[in-house]
This record gives sequence, C-alpha cells and structure tokens, in this order.
Amino acid sequence: MSKRKDVHKQNLDKIFNPESIAVVGTNNSKGTVPYDIFFNILKTEFTGIVYPVSPREKSISSVKAYKYVIDIPDPVDLAIIVFPSPVCHMALEQCGQKGIKGVVIISAGFKEIGEKGVERETQLKQIAEKYDISIIGPNCLGIINTDPLINLNASFARKMPEQGNIGFLSQSGALCTAVLDYALAKHIGFSKFISFGNKVDISEIDLIYYLMEDDETKVILLYLEEITDGRALMKAAHDVIRKSGKPVLILKSGRTEAGAFAAASHTGSLAGDDEIFDAAFEQAGIIRCSDIEEMFNIAIAFAYQQAPGSNKVAIITNAGGPGVLTTDAAIQDGLQLAKFSEETTKEFRRALPSTANIKNPVDVIGDARADRYNAALNGAFKDPDVDGVFVILTPQSMTDIEAIAREVVKVSNEYSKPVYTSFMGEADVAAGVDILLRNKIPHYILPESMCRSFSRVYQFYRDLDKKLHKQHVFPDIDTKAAQQIIDTAVGNNNYYLSEDVAGRILKIYGIPVVDNELVTSPEEAASAAQGIGFPVVMKIVSDDIIHKSDIKGVVLNINSAEEAKKTFNKITKNVLQNKPGANIKGILVSKMILSGEEVILGVKRDPAFGPVIMFGLGGVYVEVFKDVSFRVAPIDEDIADSMVKKIKSFKILEGIRGKVPRDITAIKECLMRLSQMAIECPQISELDINPLIVMDETKGCFVADVRIMLDTSGKK
Amino acid sequence: MDREEVKNRVKKVIAKVLEIDESEIADDANFVFDLGASSLQSMRLVAGFQEEFGIEMDEEKSLEVQTVSEAVDFIGTYLN
Repeated sequence: MSKRKDVHKQNLDKIFNPESIAVVGTNNSKGTVPYDIFFNILKTEFTGIVYPVSPREKSISSVKAYKYVIDIPDPVDLAIIVFPSPVCHMALEQCGQKGIKGVVIISAGFKEIGEKGVERETQLKQIAEKYDISIIGPNCLGIINTDPLINLNASFARKMPEQGNIGFLSQSGALCTAVLDYALAKHIGFSKFISFGNKVDISEIDLIYYLMEDDETKVILLYLEEITDGRALMKAAHDVIRKSGKPVLILKSGRTEAGAFAAASHTGSLAGDDEIFDAAFEQAGIIRCSDIEEMFNIAIAFAYQQAPGSNKVAIITNAGGPGVLTTDAAIQDGLQLAKFSEETTKEFRRALPSTANIKNPVDVIGDARADRYNAALNGAFKDPDVDGVFVILTPQSMTDIEAIAREVVKVSNEYSKPVYTSFMGEADVAAGVDILLRNKIPHYILPESMCRSFSRVYQFYRDLDKKLHKQHVFPDIDTKAAQQIIDTAVGNNNYYLSEDVAGRILKIYGIPVVDNELVTSPEEAASAAQGIGFPVVMKIVSDDIIHKSDIKGVVLNINSAEEAKKTFNKITKNVLQNKPGANIKGILVSKMILSGEEVILGVKRDPAFGPVIMFGLGGVYVEVFKDVSFRVAPIDEDIADSMVKKIKSFKILEGIRGKVPRDITAIKECLMRLSQMAIECPQISELDINPLIVMDETKGCFVADVRIMLDTSGKK
Repeated sequence: MDREEVKNRVKKVIAKVLEIDESEIADDANFVFDLGASSLQSMRLVAGFQEEFGIEMDEEKSLEVQTVSEAVDFIGTYLN
C-alpha cells in the first residue's frame, strides 16, 4: 500500500466520525454554501463540537466564530473548507499547522475551470502531502454520516437522509441532491453519503475500501463520470466484494459511442467505452446499473432482504394477468418457479377458495383480503423448494391494501427467506406501499423490475467466489524477437504493421498463420503459389494501405501458376491506379482455406483499463452484426471460454443441424496467447485478426488476415 | 505619488468597502482569507481603487490581485 493510501486509511475515520469540526470560510449570508454548510451541521444536531471560522464575523448563528482555524483553542478532527478557490490553499496550510488530518473542500473553481484550476489542485496536493492531510473534493456537495452517534450533515443538501445500510458515493454533487430527494420519498436510508467531486486526493477507490470496513454499510453505490484508473477500480471492487460480501453497484454515465469513432480497426470501432466498462465490471463482479431507478431497485433488495438460497421463487397474486407477466419476466431473468410440495398444495386447497389457482403462480383471486394473502404467504415460505416470494397486488374495490401490506411485513418477519413486492398502480396503493417501504420490504411499481432485481441479487451471491483471472502464460514464446520486430518498426516511424510483419509476430506467439510468401515479381508469385498449393489468395502488402479490399488489392481463389502471374500484374495495376503514392513492399501469396468458420479476434488498448481482448463472429459484416464479446486482459481459460460462449453465434461454432462442431479449444488458446501478446507488447494499440478460420473440432484454426497498429504517442 | 501614500489610500478604500477599521488591515492582508471580502465586495474594491486614483484598470487582471501589497503594486503601474 502506498504511503498516501495508509494516510487516508487513518484519516478517513476522522473525516466520517469526527469529534470536532471547523467550517472554514463560513459567513452569515443565509442561502449561500458557506452559511448553509455550517447551519446544516447545527440543524442536524451533530453530536460533536462545531467551530465556525470566518475572517470577519464575530459569530455565526449565535456560535462564536474564529478568524483563523489556528485560533481555535481545542483540537479539530475535520475541516470543511468553503472559501473561494483562490484562497483554499491558505486555509489548507493553516489546517496543516493546526494538525487537522481530515479535510473536505466544497469550493468549486479547480480543474473543472482549466489550467488555473489544475494549478490550484497541485498546490492542494503538495500541502496535503506535507502535513499528511487527506482531502475529499474539491468541487463537491460534502459528506453525510447518518449514524445517530455522529449525526453529521456536512453538505449543502436540503435534508438529512434517513439512516440505512446503503453507502452512496458520487462524483457529481448535483446528482447527490436529486438522489437524496428520490430516496427520502421512498424511505431509502443511507449509512454514508459522500460527494467526492474532483477527487484531488481521496478517490472512489479509497472510499470503496473505507465502506468495506464500515459496519453500517451493506451495499455500496457509486456514480462515476470518469474512470482514471480502471484496473485499480476493478481490483478494489473485487477485493471488497470477495472480502466483505458487500455488493458494489455502479452507475457510469456516458453510455455512448464516443471514443470509438476514430478507430482504425474493427476492434477499435467495436470496443467503445461502454462495451469495455461492461466487460470490466462483469469481470470484477460489479453490478452495472443503467439508471438511478435500477440502481436503487437493486440496492434496496440487497439492503433489506437476505440472500436467496436459489433462483426458485413463488409468486402470489390476486390477478391472473400480472401473475403471467411476472412469470414471463422471472423466466426471462433466469429465475425458476418453485414446485410446491404435496403438503403445500394440500394447505392451499384447505385455506384458499376452490376458484383459486393453487399452483405456482398462486392466484388468490381478485376479491382476496389479508387473510388469504396470509395463508398463501405462510404456505409459500414453508415450502422447501421456495427460496424467494413475490407478492403481487392489484387494487380492487374490496382489496384491503394496507392490511395486506401489514400482513406481508408480519409474515415475512417470521421466515428467513426474501420477499419482494409489487403493488401495481400508483394512487390507490400508495398507503400500502408506504407501509412496505417503511418496514424495509422491497417494493417495485412493475413486476418486471422486481424480477430483475431478484435476479441480479441471486447472480451476485452465486458468483461471489469468482476470482479475478490471471494470465495463462505460454512458455514457448520468444518475447525478445517480437519486441525486436516492433522496435524496428517504431525506429522506422512505421506504426502500421503490414500483414507479413504482423504475421511474424503472431507466429512468435504461437498463433497459427496460413502458409504464405511475400513476392515481388509475377514469376515469384507463380513459383510461390505452386509451392504453397492451389488455390491461393494474393494480397497487396504496403505500409500505406490498411484497407486492401477498398483499392482492389485482394484476389481470391487463384488456381494456376499462370493465373498467379496475371494476378500479380492486375493487383499492382489496381494499386497504382487507386493509391498512386503507396510504397508497395510486394504481394503476399497465401494458402486459401476453403472450409471453416470465420471469427474475429482483436486487441484494443484502453486508456483506463489497458489491453482489452475482443472475440466475435468474423468476416466483412462484423461491424454490422456486432456479435462480439470483450474482456480486460489478462485472461485465462475460464475467461476465454466465457468470451466464446457469450456471442450469439456460439451455436454455429458448436455445430447446428448435424454439422461437426468447430475447434473451440483452438480459439480459446489463440485468445489466451493474444492476451499474453497484448500484455507483453505494450506498444500494440490495436490489433485485428479477421478472419481467424476455425476448422472442425481438433483440426485447429488459421489466421487469414491480420493488422496491427502501434502506439503513436512517441511518434517523432 | 510615493508607495506609502498609495498604500494608505488603498487601505482607506478597503476600510470603506469592507466596513472595517483601517488599523485592522495589515500590509500583506489577503482580501478574502484575512479580511473576508465576498466576490461582490472584491468587485467593489476594484471600482473603489479606480475612483480613488482616477485610473481605469484591466478588469481581469485587477480581479487577480489578492492582497493589499499586490494592490499597491498593481495601482502603481498605472500611476507611473
């Protein structure tokens, strides 16, 4: 652990559980951030001591103010700095002199305003390091700790949230206030609520680790706008999940294709930020949420209910249609309907009317009141095949909604199996929903959201012991030889490796390339084709030509020496016509593979996550069908296996309608070797193997085309 | 006008705009951190200096001036 991480570990406790706080730079102007922060601390009855620090005021809200933080006679655990950004460093310097180790800087006017702001942040970092201070912010809303022993609202949020088990971290301050309002309406409580802003010092990674140790936190939610160190985030989330069993849910904004548009390869084009986030989060065990509602739908399921023992559920409903909808959604989300025992069936027959459906989903019929729900709930909870109960209600004229809600609360408290509810509607069911939420029973307006939330919870616990994978290392690789080829190319200012050179690197890494030969005359072409064996493919080789087909630089199915000679002349003519300035290295004569399935393998180096490996259905339509999967390197056989199985076309590889399965083992080995190459050769920025032709089971696979782009950041 | 005179007149303006006693204003005092000037008061200070010395200062640069001594130096460049 780095020194700063150690410092943060010690100081974070002071930040969230302080005995004394100084609000530095406050004033008496109501409705301004400097005043509201101080007043919120007073208003929520912080259990420690709060000192206002104000250059001009004698007192703030009747509390004696100090001109400087160093004037406070007693020790201070936490400083909240609310001065304008140009003088925050002066306040921080005095905090250091005073021995304050925890600081939250609320003020804006830092890196978000450009160069001047970046300079200010650098200054803050230097002071923090000098005095071993840990800083949250700047440019943030503040922090909240709902623990009654602390009662701290050091933020400019309008209200203190309810106490609960959700730890919420957000890069955006404005989103925090919206989330707080949303949560208050639904009685969703928080353990800690942290807006970390520009993360000049303490990052989301430090905070995730802090919440792992926090006894009050059961679920960690994180809203992120930018990820600077994706690998560290993956590791932190994975550590937290594995060590504490606490789920980490992330809402990452920017689900767009930005960043992918400028790519020179299929992989670069397909591997947008979003696809990479999805892959990385899945590998780390992080639950990615698409919006705030989904995030809290899943969060309350984790926070309020115990882990389900399996994916088998019982559905109790007073309406047939919603019961069917729920069944459909449950099956679609990978859940199963539990099969009731004879005893349960007998009990339902005794307790429910003859018109009721006593099979799963249990329909207690539209006129059901609380007593019928009671019988159905008890029967379902007792059944050994049931590991979760879904309660559906639609409001009929005789439905005693509030009594049913109370019954759900009462009965579910008697069992250690999770219960989720969906009282469908809005106005009529509101009072019942309120009872459920106040009693920590997860409620969802739509049964589909209920099923999805249960499914995510079930999957999380099922995959809890999944490890972060290590690279399968192949010992038969001459890394130095590959490096030499790359260094030579870079030395020649050549950042696009033509097929012959890229093929040499693949061969070094043990990835099979079809037999080929680079020729420079019609005669050589004829002789090479004869040596390789017909039919052959002939392709232009030039460092200046990336898309060979576009300029008619590729000819397939050449069946004689004479044809090879003519083709050499034809390709040369096409290139001279369509790309007159191109420097032609020669023409590559390759064995033409007539059978097999075409797949694509690729590498893209992501600024936050490093090398990412892609696999998918290959050929010219790869960007149309986008049937691809991604994983962050390194990968081992399990990950390679999951990549191959993730694509929709996997069934084609498995062999459909009597066809022989393709050599999936060979694909997996190529993926692992490619991952090793991506890690060992950091200069490779993008790589496409398209197609890799996969033969029948045990017959292997062959690279028919490859392109490698090198990192141009060091380009002269 | 010598530096001392500029400084005294600068302090006079500050005392008036921030409604504080001249004796409380140190030579190296920071308008915000030591004297508690708000952003609106900082703009009023600039206007006050311009009026006091009969000069027109560059708006952007003048708002970067943070201390009494910086203000004296900055105003001095216009007076010379």
